[in-house]
Amino acid sequence: MSLHRKKRRKRIEYKEIELNIMPFVDVFSMLNTFLLFSAVFIMIGITEVQIPFLTNAPPPKEKSARFLNINIDVTKEKIEIVRTYSMPPADEMKWEFTFNKDGIEQMHRRLVSLRKEDPDIDKVTLFSDDDVIYKDLSNVLDAIKLRFEGDPIFAVKSSDKKEQEAATIFLYPKIVMGSVML
Amino acid sequence: MSSSVGEAISLDLKPMLDVFSVLITFLLMTFSSDPISHDVSPGIELPESKTIISLDEVPSITVTKTEIRVGDIKVANIIAGDVEEKAREQGAVYPLWEELKKIQKNNQRILERLGGKEDKTGTLTMEMDDSHRFKLMKRIMLSGQQADFITFKLMVAKQGG
Repeated sequence: MSLHRKKRRKRIEYKEIELNIMPFVDVFSMLNTFLLFSAVFIMIGITEVQIPFLTNAPPPKEKSARFLNINIDVTKEKIEIVRTYSMPPADEMKWEFTFNKDGIEQMHRRLVSLRKEDPDIDKVTLFSDDDVIYKDLSNVLDAIKLRFEGDPIFAVKSSDKKEQEAATIFLYPKIVMGSVML
Repeated sequence: MSSSVGEAISLDLKPMLDVFSVLITFLLMTFSSDPISHDVSPGIELPESKTIISLDEVPSITVTKTEIRVGDIKVANIIAGDVEEKAREQGAVYPLWEELKKIQKNNQRILERLGGKEDKTGTLTMEMDDSHRFKLMKRIMLSGQQADFITFKLMVAKQGG
């Protein structure tokens, strides 16, 4: 029996076969067309800002405590951070940065150290001159709002999942455009 | 002459398949799963941003180099980087305020019908060309403020996107 099998094996002839790849090409073409049509080549994001709102509601009670105020003044040439306390002693301090890439980075580092000083304060008020270009202002907004690589994560008191997730993304989540007033 | 008669030719499809595979891999890798897919309006260049927050609603206000639109309605022209004089009112843009007020009224009506929590302030998504000055943005935001919109979502192009 075993000899028989050996003989049979020797008889096997290798024929050249050709794979029909046409259906494969058809599927690829369809997939390509669909993906090219639905492709988004610019990913769109958002930067959220707030504007001051006048209300006749009484101020919240916790505001009576002494807390940190951070204002940022943006002109075409420079950016200035002004830090004051809401109650005396105001202990005002100012830092000036030139309006360029390095200056914006330095400003961001200063903001990180200010957040370390009072981690509960998550709001910055931004004042901008009328002639500042939106493209440049957007870079400043990024440097204020977002946590960059290597920045610490500031823990939030709230147990809300959304707020905790926001803490991993943002440095100062709330930016109020202080110049927008009648 | 004789070679053109009845000769079967075979096309080598392997290089094409290679290209297709690479293209499909690239397109699948960059496939967007953002909740909203919106094409940037013609004539608008968005500022670049490092934000990772994705667009979650279509923009209500569109500011191109030459006009301001609310949805599909053109509300004002922009001349030399500022709103035309006849549309200005107390630092804001009057026709824009009118349109936004209508939107806010509709929003409130819907909220009342749904029995939602009473919130008089609203949110606007704005698509604005990056060459404009803050002066124009301020006018638009002031118009929004007067119509009780106090949160603005500024549309930006994600860096590396």
